[in-house]
Amino acid sequence: MSAEHAAVADNPNIGCTGLDHRKMGMWAFLGSECMFFGSLIGTYLAYKGKSINGPGPHEILNIPLTSVSAFVLLMSSLLMVLALAAVQRNDMKWGKIWLFMTAVFGAGFVGFQIFEFTHFVHLGLTLQTNLFGSTFFVLTGFHGAHVTGGVIWLLAMWTLAMRGKLGPQDSLKVEICGLYWHFVDIVWIVIFALIYLIP
Amino acid sequence: MDSSQAAHASAAHDEGHASVQTYIRVAVVLAILTAIEIGSLYVPGLPNHALVTLILIFGTLKFALVVAFFMHLRYDNKLLTVLFVGPLVIATAIILAIMALFGAYLLLARG
Repeated sequence: MSAEHAAVADNPNIGCTGLDHRKMGMWAFLGSECMFFGSLIGTYLAYKGKSINGPGPHEILNIPLTSVSAFVLLMSSLLMVLALAAVQRNDMKWGKIWLFMTAVFGAGFVGFQIFEFTHFVHLGLTLQTNLFGSTFFVLTGFHGAHVTGGVIWLLAMWTLAMRGKLGPQDSLKVEICGLYWHFVDIVWIVIFALIYLIP
Repeated sequence: MDSSQAAHASAAHDEGHASVQTYIRVAVVLAILTAIEIGSLYVPGLPNHALVTLILIFGTLKFALVVAFFMHLRYDNKLLTVLFVGPLVIATAIILAIMALFGAYLLLARG
């Protein structure tokens, strides 16, 4: 057995599959999240066009504004992989910058969503107004909560990096945080296409 | 776990990630796909079924690019792909089943 294989065998985080438990656990969690959001998206589509009173999606959704916020979230995914690449090559200066910028872009997306929700309430659409309101707010609200959780996680990673407690030996932690972040991005790709773009 | 163990652990599960240049190229492609996706809404005379098909294709491409390159599934162990794609297939089946149960064919029946 080589020294490298021995080190891997001694590592309690590596299981019989040869994969790190933490990374595998995150992928399993993301799999369960697929089914969670699948149920919410399915419910929205099942009730689409079945509200007996307004306002409906065509009267209220602001596609240009949401396109900007969708683009912000999409580009935050690029910043996240740049942060991971920087941490992996021990370039902590840029690692900190990209981590912070990812959190800022995420917070920007949440800001867009708060503005949108507030605007919709002023236009008379709430959770109780009709089937569209109920399914729309539950779906996009849960997504927004996930993004908020991701921003808090990113800021925690950035704080660790600022205190010198995050280095290349912790790149797996950044990668797992990144997996979660990319997941909220791909969920929004689906929500944006199915809820906002399809007429 | 010390840093040498972490490095070995990392070597055990990572089969290599894309380069920064690849990430930037993927981001440019994602931006172009998003622009076309949104722009297709403003094409005069485009039938609804064509519009829906275009949006679904571009959305799927963007989803696949992020998962393959940014989430590194293209480079990682295939077991992770199974862990994610399995539930994703089930989620898609759930969506289609709920829509069928509720007779909600609005998504594709227009135009």
